Amino acid sequence: MSDKLILKKDHLTTFLRKLSKEYQLVVPLKNCHGDTLFTVIEDLDSQPPDLVNQPQNSLKEFMLPQQEVLFTYKNSPGDYSFSPATVKPPPTIFFGVRPCDLSAVLYMDVIFLQGRTDPHYLQKRENSVLIGLNCNTSFADCFCNATRHGPFLEYGSDLQFTDLGDRFLVEAGRSRGEEIVRKWGYFFAVAAKEDRARKYQVFLEARGGFARMVHVDQAIKRLREKKVDDSVWHELSLRCQDCGGCAYLCPTCTCFTIIDRPVDNVRGERLRSWDACTFAGFTNMAGGHNPVNAATDAIRQRFMHKLCYDVKDHGRPSCVGCGRCVGICFGGTDIIRFINMACEGI
Amino acid sequence: MTDISPLYLPQPAVINEVIEENSQIRTFVLSFCDREYNEKFTYLPGQFMMVSVPHCGEAPISFSSTPEEPGHIRLSVRRAGRLTNAMHRMKKGDVVGLRGPWGNGFPLDDMVGRDLLFVAGGIGLAPLAAVIRTCIKKRDQYGRISIIYGSRTPSDIAFADDIAAWGMEKDVECLLTVDKAEPGWDGAVGLVTSLFDRADFAPGKQTALVCGPPLMIRAVLSDLGNRGFADEEIITTMERHMKCGVGVCRHCHMDGRLVCADGPVFSLARLRGLEVMELG
Ligand SMILES: Cc1cc2nc3c(=O)[nH]c(=O)nc-3n(C[C@H](O)[C@H](O)[C@H](O)COP(=O)(O)OP(=O)(O)OC[C@H]3O[C@@H](n4cnc5c(N)ncnc54)[C@H](O)[C@@H]3O)c2cc1C
Ligand code: SF4
Repeated sequence: MSDKLILKKDHLTTFLRKLSKEYQLVVPLKNCHGDTLFTVIEDLDSQPPDLVNQPQNSLKEFMLPQQEVLFTYKNSPGDYSFSPATVKPPPTIFFGVRPCDLSAVLYMDVIFLQGRTDPHYLQKRENSVLIGLNCNTSFADCFCNATRHGPFLEYGSDLQFTDLGDRFLVEAGRSRGEEIVRKWGYFFAVAAKEDRARKYQVFLEARGGFARMVHVDQAIKRLREKKVDDSVWHELSLRCQDCGGCAYLCPTCTCFTIIDRPVDNVRGERLRSWDACTFAGFTNMAGGHNPVNAATDAIRQRFMHKLCYDVKDHGRPSCVGCGRCVGICFGGTDIIRFINMACEGI
Repeated sequence: MTDISPLYLPQPAVINEVIEENSQIRTFVLSFCDREYNEKFTYLPGQFMMVSVPHCGEAPISFSSTPEEPGHIRLSVRRAGRLTNAMHRMKKGDVVGLRGPWGNGFPLDDMVGRDLLFVAGGIGLAPLAAVIRTCIKKRDQYGRISIIYGSRTPSDIAFADDIAAWGMEKDVECLLTVDKAEPGWDGAVGLVTSLFDRADFAPGKQTALVCGPPLMIRAVLSDLGNRGFADEEIITTMERHMKCGVGVCRHCHMDGRLVCADGPVFSLARLRGLEVMELG
């Protein structure tokens, strides 16, 4: 990351207000129930971003909406035609994105843009600017240190913020971030040597501050060496309640299904919506034949994909360590439980 | 604005002919409504199309035609559920949507100069038909061709006219068997593997292409192995639930591989080491 700049915290709202004149702004925001969610912000003055709590959702629902129209179709005798969906997402700035969630977007870039380009993802992604916020203190279930996606982000954001008390250290990562600091340069001062030193200090404290010790590397190694006993999969598959909560909340679970929704007899939409590999129907084939035995292996694909296949294919696990599935899972079969079971007896 | 390529957008294609192969399988001869698209369109045997039928979504269907006869593609469809049943109700002049071609195709280049053994069960002959037609079109590039085809009953034998025509070609041998005989059937009864003793096997200079239901694949692969075929000489296709066909939705996962993008054609050598139910 190139030049290091300083933005005084007192100036944050004004800075965001400027940005919101040209972009749709998405920030972590507390709703009326007290839940923090990434939300399109309308009024910065009455609702400041919540930079203290972990957002319950991630950026996934903005890049890969829970349901989206791929195209519409018309059919009548002798005719069946298809029209591309025409919604154009507005240019959007995501502010206050934690390293885990930002890494998750980088992972989605690989899935949807490497190889064949997914036009629907591309449209949203190329219209987005990501402003990251490093984590000085981890949240209760976080273990991004163990998955190597945090607590500080090394690369990939457009601008990266670090909280230094009364100020943010701001680093431009990609050209879009540089454009922003150039365009609104009057908000920023060049960082002093002490500010840079302070960032390193904060990073060391953050790295040492995790409440949980999760042996991600060990689990990856044992999976690769096929040393995880079948009984682990069986027990977890039995306990999984097949609710899909983990997959929906997970910022890197991107499996989807595609269905037709008839509008009337002669028109309809083709939709894609989130799916989960833990669902019994995910692999079901015509005639009731299923290559995955739900009773014993329902949950195998989930953890193998994140901790084994993606390490092989992309060099690091696609679990980013955000801990969301730990909080949501009432089956008690979340990824930390799995990692602990996989490493038992070492 | 970036170019938004139509990754999920099908192309309308009209049904020119419907061939009733048996009570469960029909072959649809299709051409794209857009003439220019139809002329440029090409594919590899072993690849598949995602077929759209109004209000039914999509299903992956392999080509049973050869790209050596451009302009018309054949999709042979077995009634299996919602979409395939709806397709069986369609007639000449009706329009479906086609998206593709997806998947990898058979390694035709590696097969040049070799004898070919095709082992198929039921609808599994559809993708192999694409290869057989192609090899017969380029007859001098390949050695002897043996086709071993198993059906449930004699009335379930699909592609009967094609099989008869292939059998007339030089150095092409077709052996048929059924699981259960019917009055008037004097051919073989038993699994495809029961015909293996009658066929001329030549591991080392022969490639085996195997396609059919999982249990058949399992039996055939192990039998061929016992008869001396190397893993590289045995080619098969995998079938899994699919939604996108392009390696993103992950419904067709198979121990870290995706059947739509890494397959559906695999040599036994590529399957070794993977946990795949077809290998037992
Ligand atoms: C690579 C490949 C090539 C194929 N080639 C042929 C062929 O040439 N001829 C043929 O008759 N059949 C072929 N099949 C099988 C065919 O795709 C299924 O029979 C078909 O999807 C069933 O859809 P349905 O709506 O009639 O059945 P339903 O049981 O109602 O299926 C509902 C949905 O589940 C999914 N699904 C169910 N079974 C399968 C399956 N076996 N494979 C993929 N998705 C499935 C589909 O998305 C389908 O829309 C092929 C499958 C694959 C994977
Ligand atoms: S692992 Fe937990 S959260 Fe995920 S589907 Fe099963 S019960 Fe639900």
